[in-house]
Amino acid sequence: MTTTSTVTIAASMRGGTKDYGSGDAAVRALDGLDVDIAQSEFTAIMGPSGSGKSTLLHTLAGLDRLTAGESWIGEQQITGLSEDKITQVRRDKIGFVFQAFNLIPSLSARENITLPLDIAGRDVDPQWFEEIIAILGLGDRLTHLPAELSGGQQQRVAVARALVARPELIFADEPSGNLDSRSGAELLGFMRRAVKEFGQTIVMVTHDPTAASYSDRVLFLADGRIVDEMREPTADRVLDRMKQMGH
Amino acid sequence: MFRLAVKSVKHNPKRLVLTAVAVALGVALAATTFTLTNALSSGFTKLFEEIYAGTDVIVEADPDADPADEDPFAATESLFSHADVEDVAAVDGVASAWGGRQVMGSVLAADFEPTNDVMAGGGPPSQLFNWAGDPRVDQATLVEGDGPTADDEIVLDLDAAPRLGYAIGDTVSVATEAGVEEFTLVGLVRFGESNSLQGATLGYMTDARSAAINGDDGYEQVSVIVEDGADQDAVAEAIGAILPPDTRAITGEAKAAEQTEQFDELLQYIDIFAIAFALIALFVGAYIIVNTFRIIVTQRTREFGLLRAIGVSGRQLRTMILLEALVVAVVSSTIGIALGYLGALGLSTLVEAFSGDIFGTVTLPIDAVLWGYGLGALVTIIAAIMPAIHASTISPMEALRESATESKKPLRLRNVVGGALTLLGVLAIVAGLYLGIEKPYIPVGAGAMILIIGVTLLAAQVLVPLAYGLKATLTRVFRVDGKLAANNIHREPRRSANTAAALMIGVMLLALVATFTESMKSLVTEQFKGNSADFFVFTSQGAIPEGAIEVIEGEDGVAYVTSTGLGTVLVDGATTNVGVIDPETADLAFDYNNEPDFDQMDGGAFIDPSMVEAGFEVGDDITVEGPEGSATLTITGKYLNEGDAQVWVDEDTGHELLGDYPIAQSMVVLDEGVDATAAQDQILEALAVDYPLVVLQSPGEFEQLANQFIDLLLGIISAMLGAALIIALLGVANTLLLSVTERTREIGLLRAVGVRRRSIRRMIRIESMVMAVFGTVLGMILGVGLGAALVRALEDFGFTTITIPWVWLLIYTIAAALAGVLAAVWPARRAAKLDILQAIAFDG
Repeated sequence: MTTTSTVTIAASMRGGTKDYGSGDAAVRALDGLDVDIAQSEFTAIMGPSGSGKSTLLHTLAGLDRLTAGESWIGEQQITGLSEDKITQVRRDKIGFVFQAFNLIPSLSARENITLPLDIAGRDVDPQWFEEIIAILGLGDRLTHLPAELSGGQQQRVAVARALVARPELIFADEPSGNLDSRSGAELLGFMRRAVKEFGQTIVMVTHDPTAASYSDRVLFLADGRIVDEMREPTADRVLDRMKQMGH
Repeated sequence: MFRLAVKSVKHNPKRLVLTAVAVALGVALAATTFTLTNALSSGFTKLFEEIYAGTDVIVEADPDADPADEDPFAATESLFSHADVEDVAAVDGVASAWGGRQVMGSVLAADFEPTNDVMAGGGPPSQLFNWAGDPRVDQATLVEGDGPTADDEIVLDLDAAPRLGYAIGDTVSVATEAGVEEFTLVGLVRFGESNSLQGATLGYMTDARSAAINGDDGYEQVSVIVEDGADQDAVAEAIGAILPPDTRAITGEAKAAEQTEQFDELLQYIDIFAIAFALIALFVGAYIIVNTFRIIVTQRTREFGLLRAIGVSGRQLRTMILLEALVVAVVSSTIGIALGYLGALGLSTLVEAFSGDIFGTVTLPIDAVLWGYGLGALVTIIAAIMPAIHASTISPMEALRESATESKKPLRLRNVVGGALTLLGVLAIVAGLYLGIEKPYIPVGAGAMILIIGVTLLAAQVLVPLAYGLKATLTRVFRVDGKLAANNIHREPRRSANTAAALMIGVMLLALVATFTESMKSLVTEQFKGNSADFFVFTSQGAIPEGAIEVIEGEDGVAYVTSTGLGTVLVDGATTNVGVIDPETADLAFDYNNEPDFDQMDGGAFIDPSMVEAGFEVGDDITVEGPEGSATLTITGKYLNEGDAQVWVDEDTGHELLGDYPIAQSMVVLDEGVDATAAQDQILEALAVDYPLVVLQSPGEFEQLANQFIDLLLGIISAMLGAALIIALLGVANTLLLSVTERTREIGLLRAVGVRRRSIRRMIRIESMVMAVFGTVLGMILGVGLGAALVRALEDFGFTTITIPWVWLLIYTIAAALAGVLAAVWPARRAAKLDILQAIAFDG
């Protein structure tokens, strides 16, 4: 993907609206939002608390349903699909990294990593598996249970799991939120390498400007709408922009 | 999916331990019984084979003879005359034929002393026969001394002689219906190959003596030895052709197989009985399984949410939970079957220590394995279905939530379903008890099951206001510990209700049985109110000997003896039980429930309610056919209790129809002013000479004896329900334990703000006690209610008063409270031991 003239869209949303609750207690988390996520790009979504950034990630990934509007993963329209179909899309096309509780406590690191493939009944590509393990430095940790791993190692296992099935898209929700700064930097570095070296598409929600600076493009959210975007971000520029937004 | 399920069970087996124990206990109950009945079956199969081993063909009464035939009473008679035996011997291919007869009697131990104990001389009966001298016919081989050749000689089996204290040359006393007969022991025999008689005493006397004692020189059966090379089946057929009607010839082999089959059929009822109790235990266990899986699903909400997020479908999640349940079921059923087998081994050893070698080889039968796994898997899977469905509805968003608690769904749907089921259950029970349906126990049993589930569902609603109501009292008595405990109970009303309900079922059944048995005791007391007899005559030998009654009648101070005999007759062609009484004295000794009094019988017959239902009325004439004769009788009155005998006649009619009939009950009335105790001693002394096994019981002694049997019944059923109760208590412990894990943070917080360990322990204990007592009280209300309904339904059998077993209810309540404390020991200790810092840092 060396040319920028034809950008392939990995995911998109048109007029995305999401309401929580009803009546007086109703809260509009997304307000007619339009967004396109480019393939092989590392996109960060930022915004103050309650801006709707997590909701955007959840609805885009098919974890939650829009109240109105439409969304696509690649060519596949998500809105209107049955729960089973959406589950299948998540299984075949999407990887996830959450802030915490990413791993099944009863499975070893290796079993956690291959879980999406096991569920889909697909074979593990041993070469690809080894490559991921090598990059993430998990080689000697594969037989350990999650409880025996450090927080940083657990998140790296989560990233490996997200990568192993070669999904079209990886959604990450504050992946470094629970980590110390060194482990966090390492983890984000790996994610960036995945985008640069393997052409992986990643969408990450964060409120940390430093984390956002690892991305190619930052989308700023406020009150359920995209209010700005920034390419080639640095931590300082992102922080400045956030200050303007009254964060 | 399967691997994930197995891993998940292996990863945290502790939370499933009590569930597994519950399933294992239920399965063990079934497996023990199956193993024991199987061993009994193999033991008796061997016995039957030995009994018929040497005999080629047996000629006997035909059990399939149509009772409506010409002579429906053939089976009760001596069938074969000397001439018949000679005819059989003359059939082609018959080498020899021997007429056999059994003598009713008990060999008395050398040190036997007559007592007034009904059970004296009890235990395995004596099997006494006429001696053929041919091991193939006797099935016994002389091992010491000689066979009985003179009429005063007897041989006994080699185990019985030392057991009863006899050696060759000693005088042996045998109590028979004709009085005590004396013999000289001349030899010892061995039955079959190993003398395995299942504890019975075996003895042989001469043909003439046996005929003299029986007062009848006919034979009950003919044993045939065929000539070498002759075909047994062909000979049996040839004999069959010359036999009197309603008798048959059957090969020894076929006879043994037939007996084994009949015995196995009998054992099947024991199996069914055991399965019923195992099902009760597993039904209670199912409540624990539901609760455990429910809590596990709640605790693993985030894990399931994560799985859903990465592409596991709801259906796959459901399958996974069910697979986990299956893994638990297989493991615990295996343990249960193993425990059951060990239990059977232990029990059989214990029983054999007391009653001799009655079991064959104790092996684990395939039935036990199949039923064990079947019941275990079925119950576990069914119980896990609801929690599994619940798990499958977890949305992937749940993975992202911070804490995991059961959602606070309103109880409305639960209440509506619970109310409907309760109503349906009550209706089914009422219909079963009062509508006179063919098989009332089916609607009653199903109704009780539905009622239990309905009440379980409703219990959640009752618990909420109850917990609020108790809060004030608990707070006053236990201060903050009590308040917290009350809060915990109504916080998860479904869970608390399910836990209490498990106990409720066990207690309900206990209360039901107690209500029934206590009412039965009232019935006994009630019946004795109408009694004016001074003594009841009993014997452990079956019928009361005619001679014994004559002895009693001959004693000073005895006004009269009135007896009840029983027999079978045909009334207008239908087989009917007939009771024979003395109309002049029966009503004087005992206030029978009849109208008019028996002394108005006037040579006619009284009929019971079943006959009235069949369309007979007072004033009708009925034709009664008996084995000895027939008569046309006018119905002169009604006997109002059901279940004793359908038709009652006087003694003259009885003799005319039945000849000598067996006497089932005799009552002794003394002259006025005679001292009862002295009279009892005097009569017993007179009886000891010829009828040492006949005893007298005063009404007080008899009532006590009857109550002892009723208490024994209650005891046996309670013991069988014990497994269900233990499982229910495990359920209380299990729920608390899982709740403690769930509330780790909360408990840590309480500890952090200064609540002492002791208080935490007390909080859990109070919670446990309240749930246990709640379940017990619910169970008692249901149990007494169902018991009362049952007693009402049996009104026709003479049940008049419903006695509520207050003493038992009080005992159950106290026991429940104590058990509640006991069940809380482990969870309370776990909760109190939690490290404060770790508890707060605990990451669900």
